[in-house]
Amino acid sequence: MPRPGYWTVFVDLSSGEVTREPVETQANQDLLGGCGVGWKLAADHLLARADPLSPDNKIIINPGLLVGTLTPGTPKTTSITKYPTYASDDERFYVGASTVGGRYFGVALNRAGCQHLVISGKAPSPVYLRIRDEKIELVDAEDLWGRGIEEVTNELVREEGPETGVMVIGTAGENLVRNALSIVDKTNSLGRGGLGAVMGSKNLKAIAVNGSGDVEVENPEAFFNFSQELRERVYQWPKRDHWIKLGLAAGWDTFKHTQYPGIWPKSEWDELYGEKTRLATVEEVIACNSCILSCRLKWKIKGGEYDGEVGYGSPFSKSATSGMLLGVKDFRKMIHIVADANSNSGMDFYTTTRIIDFATKMYEMGRLGKEDTGGLKLRRDYDTYLKLYQMMIKREGFGDVLADGWHRLKKEFGLDPQEYWYAGICKGMDFIYDARPSNFHPLMMSFFTRTRPHHGGSHTRTNSRNKTMEEIREQVEAWGLPQEVIDRIFTEAPYCGSFNVGRYTKHMEDMMRVKNSLGLCSIYSYQGLIFGHDMARLYNAATGESLTADELIKCGERISNFAKLVNVREGFSREDDKVPELWFRPMDTPEGRIEMHDYFNTKVITKEDAGKMLDDYYQERGWDVRTGTPTPEKLKELGLEKYSSKQNQTALA
Amino acid sequence: MRIEGIVIIPSMCRGCRSCQLACSYVRHGVFNPAKSVIVMDREVETDHTVPVILPLSCDLCGGNPACLRACPYGAIVANTEHTSYKILVQT
Repeated sequence: MPRPGYWTVFVDLSSGEVTREPVETQANQDLLGGCGVGWKLAADHLLARADPLSPDNKIIINPGLLVGTLTPGTPKTTSITKYPTYASDDERFYVGASTVGGRYFGVALNRAGCQHLVISGKAPSPVYLRIRDEKIELVDAEDLWGRGIEEVTNELVREEGPETGVMVIGTAGENLVRNALSIVDKTNSLGRGGLGAVMGSKNLKAIAVNGSGDVEVENPEAFFNFSQELRERVYQWPKRDHWIKLGLAAGWDTFKHTQYPGIWPKSEWDELYGEKTRLATVEEVIACNSCILSCRLKWKIKGGEYDGEVGYGSPFSKSATSGMLLGVKDFRKMIHIVADANSNSGMDFYTTTRIIDFATKMYEMGRLGKEDTGGLKLRRDYDTYLKLYQMMIKREGFGDVLADGWHRLKKEFGLDPQEYWYAGICKGMDFIYDARPSNFHPLMMSFFTRTRPHHGGSHTRTNSRNKTMEEIREQVEAWGLPQEVIDRIFTEAPYCGSFNVGRYTKHMEDMMRVKNSLGLCSIYSYQGLIFGHDMARLYNAATGESLTADELIKCGERISNFAKLVNVREGFSREDDKVPELWFRPMDTPEGRIEMHDYFNTKVITKEDAGKMLDDYYQERGWDVRTGTPTPEKLKELGLEKYSSKQNQTALA
Repeated sequence: MRIEGIVIIPSMCRGCRSCQLACSYVRHGVFNPAKSVIVMDREVETDHTVPVILPLSCDLCGGNPACLRACPYGAIVANTEHTSYKILVQT
């Protein structure tokens, strides 16, 4: 059966009504399908200033255009929503996109002809959304509510069939914990910032999808042959053998420098959390659909009190950083919490462990007391961490405060999250990396320039600090950027050295929008395996268009502007794109003092330097440098003039 | 070299479904696992997958099997010893 069509499907959970509309050809051409069209839907349908946990919020799910084809590494689906993490003291919320791979979910959506799924309203009681090609309905999920992610996924796959793609929330999402994630196909997490809580607020436990249609491309022979060529290229990558052995557990040698919290000596960290522990624990490396690298992990704890525990996902890097922050020397204890978060509760391990770190440290310093915690003594030990984790999931006692995140700690106890000592916070979200051990590289910059402060999907060659100037230059040339743009990126300036991270970040973000629209995983751009010219060839063979790489990136720019516009009407501006204060303070570590340096480690970056790079970023975008927002001229150039913020606000009102 | 038989090594499969996608493309010019002659056996609890090739429908692509060429993980390999068996599953 051919694909039923190219559709946007609207599901109103309040009424149970399902409607569908064909996607306009023009929107597809301008925005590359996938998340590009998803952002237009967000601009057209999301109500400005709506409460993210109210029925007014929407979840817009968009499998990438190439998801379901044989092209290497195109499993990605993008979800757009307003996230419930408090992003500012005056309680604004950002609208953001998060991406996810998986083996079944995105492919099934594309095969069902469900290229955009817009979910609104709130079901009167718990439901799951069942999609079987054109038959879309809400199914009672009272019996699934309160149950864990892995258990519910297994049950839905048994019930719906072996091709079923499943996106599900755990108890954290049900209880509206503001950092709750959803988990896709058991192995992939989606929606840092609280997508799980948005689903919970809608009484939507899961989405189970089956599609039987073809994924067709316009020029099959050209598409297939070029996909084969790309596969051959990836097979030749010298690090592939190591990568496919360890998946996301590979890369410790880079990681231990870039994500170093600075408490233990690196040699001790190496011993406690290094590659040896990873090799001893990984059971299987699992591939997403069409991926020839594979990074998802199935692992098993050996020995200790959690002996035999099996889990899915990628527990190693996150447990290594949080393990050092919390002073837990047995990596198996940290992995146990990751296991529960991935397979049961759906808590965001990063944010949860860092809030626990902050709260227990504040208690130790006397800035929180028993009267604040409901009589609970917050010790700096594993049992307390585990108890707080459980209390957060259930919103029990002091856990209710922690479940609301950094903002509520500030509001109730005057504890400023900007005082948090590792990685820093922007728009209410704690960063995974810290720019002091990492250097001020482009991923660090995109943490605060992106609408949703998270790195996912942005990876390029510069995300670790050992790349040469020549390598970076070769990459941007292969992206297809015009020469004058490349010259600007590599023009020396006193505040950034010979690599202008501000200007580069703009183009890196636009590339990310292209990848997300196509469904291409950023592992391939991170490792320098697939570039803009390649994406243009794939896109053209799939659609019959004839875009150059530069034109493709222009579409990426258009999508970036859509994303910004949606957030401008939520009240965001340059004021919110702040470098965490913490990064300007040196880290004193057993390895010596670490300060934030530029990419090539030639100088310490000051607040003024960072401000100038931010100026360059906005200037490269053609935005108003003072406000950090798109100008009418830029919107006109991109054909988005009708979305200029003033008119847009009126239309929504 | 013309391939007369293939071996499936279940423990090597990582579930990327490249074999099914290549098969459906070669046979029908589209990407659709249901149009391939390979059924992916999915073990729900462990999430392990194993490609099961339907022997009566498979002609080994005339000696150049698309599934074998597409498998990135060595789960489908050439059988150079026992060519009287078209498809063997390693146990």
